[in-house]
Amino acid sequence: MAFVEVRNVSKSFASAKGVREVLSGIHFSVEEGEFVSIVGSMGAGKSTFMNILSGLLKADSGTVTIGGEPVKGIHPRASVVFQNYSLLPWFSAIENVRLAVDAAHPEWPRKQQLDQSTRFLETVGLGGALHKRPSQLSGGMRQRVAIARAFATEPAILFLDEPFSALDALTRSTLQQELVGLCSQAGKTVTTILITNNLDEALLLSDRIVPMTRPPRAKLGDSIAVQLPKPRTASLLMHDPHAVRIRAQVVERLAEFVHTKKSAAPVLPIKASSIAEEKAS
Amino acid sequence: MQNRLARIFLPLIGIFFVLGVWAVLSTTVPDLPSPLKTWQDSKLYVLQPFTKRGEMDQGIALLAYQSLLRVAKGFLLGALMATPLGFFLGLSKTFNRMFDPVIQVLRPISPLAWLPLGLIVFQKSEPAALFTIALCSMWPTVINTMSGVKAIPQEYWNVAKVLRLTGFQTFTKVLLPATLPYMFTGYRLSLGIAWLVIVASEMLTGTPGIGGFLWQEYNSLIYAHILLCILTIGIVGFLLDRMMGFVEVRLRSI
Repeated sequence: MAFVEVRNVSKSFASAKGVREVLSGIHFSVEEGEFVSIVGSMGAGKSTFMNILSGLLKADSGTVTIGGEPVKGIHPRASVVFQNYSLLPWFSAIENVRLAVDAAHPEWPRKQQLDQSTRFLETVGLGGALHKRPSQLSGGMRQRVAIARAFATEPAILFLDEPFSALDALTRSTLQQELVGLCSQAGKTVTTILITNNLDEALLLSDRIVPMTRPPRAKLGDSIAVQLPKPRTASLLMHDPHAVRIRAQVVERLAEFVHTKKSAAPVLPIKASSIAEEKAS
Repeated sequence: MQNRLARIFLPLIGIFFVLGVWAVLSTTVPDLPSPLKTWQDSKLYVLQPFTKRGEMDQGIALLAYQSLLRVAKGFLLGALMATPLGFFLGLSKTFNRMFDPVIQVLRPISPLAWLPLGLIVFQKSEPAALFTIALCSMWPTVINTMSGVKAIPQEYWNVAKVLRLTGFQTFTKVLLPATLPYMFTGYRLSLGIAWLVIVASEMLTGTPGIGGFLWQEYNSLIYAHILLCILTIGIVGFLLDRMMGFVEVRLRSI
């Protein structure tokens, strides 16, 4: 049995328009130490799935187990990074991290908790901003605090829910590199599930990519292994012939999956000529 | 510079306008003392604010102090009941459905209606006054604390869940800091109401304080002192509101 096992999970939400089935009969598994990305477009129910995995949300049917144990609420050794930073604005960076350390290791003396928090904030380059409030930090710095908080509890499993999508492209790529560093630095690799709508991000970080269709009744496709040595760099993905081939395969498989599953008419790429015609008329 | 002048002079114009209207009115209404007469008759109370000459015959600061002390006690009692009540109403839908109608009915009841009930229950004027102040002033705190709790964004609750905070940690690290600015808005409004209620309750119970003094001077036909009391009540109320407003703004800026 895999470390994370998801069997036949479905989830519906009741709204004014009636019941909307977001996830339908999802099967999914992750081995220990694996980094798996779930890639899908916006509003595909990825976050719903993530919330069910992490235990924030209950599935309507099906089972989720982590380490053989059925998920009931948040796993004691899980960390979550959200898209919207989710820092407490009345605490400084170090207090935000220490709160997590304190909750995970209440038996540690205060000094040790503070040292641990400082160490992880320094790792993400925030050694100079330990006592700044989130409102005094930029979006990228806030997400760094959130990442430091997630790693400082030394989790056995890490859930990353579109952690970089609120950031600008430059900050995004720096943070992705820092995440690569943190993941490999930890010694033993932490089992990680990343939700993203960014294929490059998935290629850069994961061992395996799982595509997700659009809702309603979102499903997961067959997973695509990314057999490239780690840590990877963005330039390797662009220039190394082997990497480029894998990248092309993944792009093709994803596009295929998403297009065939789409119920409405397929979206065709807009031709330059048709735009020119529109302008002329 | 011009702005600063305007900030000082425009309010002064307002004050002189009201004094003018008062002066004109006092020439037509026979029993209404003019601003000048009010000052002459009240000088002793204002210039020797801490002198105690009799049970009611005290300097204005001493009278205000006694009223403030009563307000503080009643307000604290009210806040002690209102704050937890507000938290429960905000946290539990069931609790909210149960008690919301009761609160909506109790809220508009005048202090003049509560006071006799307080006198019957407590038999003494002092606890009756405190009971009235507490009951009348608690509602803004209840309502604001409740809305503060309801307004906590889902992401903060998610943080509490994800970090697996204990109930106590969730309360002190998430719930309380998130609600604090709302609570203080409630406290500011509640304190304003407590100060309104104090006059009515002192008048009816005849206890020494600014309201008691006002009522006694009315009965002794010294009308200038009524105006002195009215002005004092206004100024003290204004200062209280400013003080609470200052704390509130600091909390909101976090």
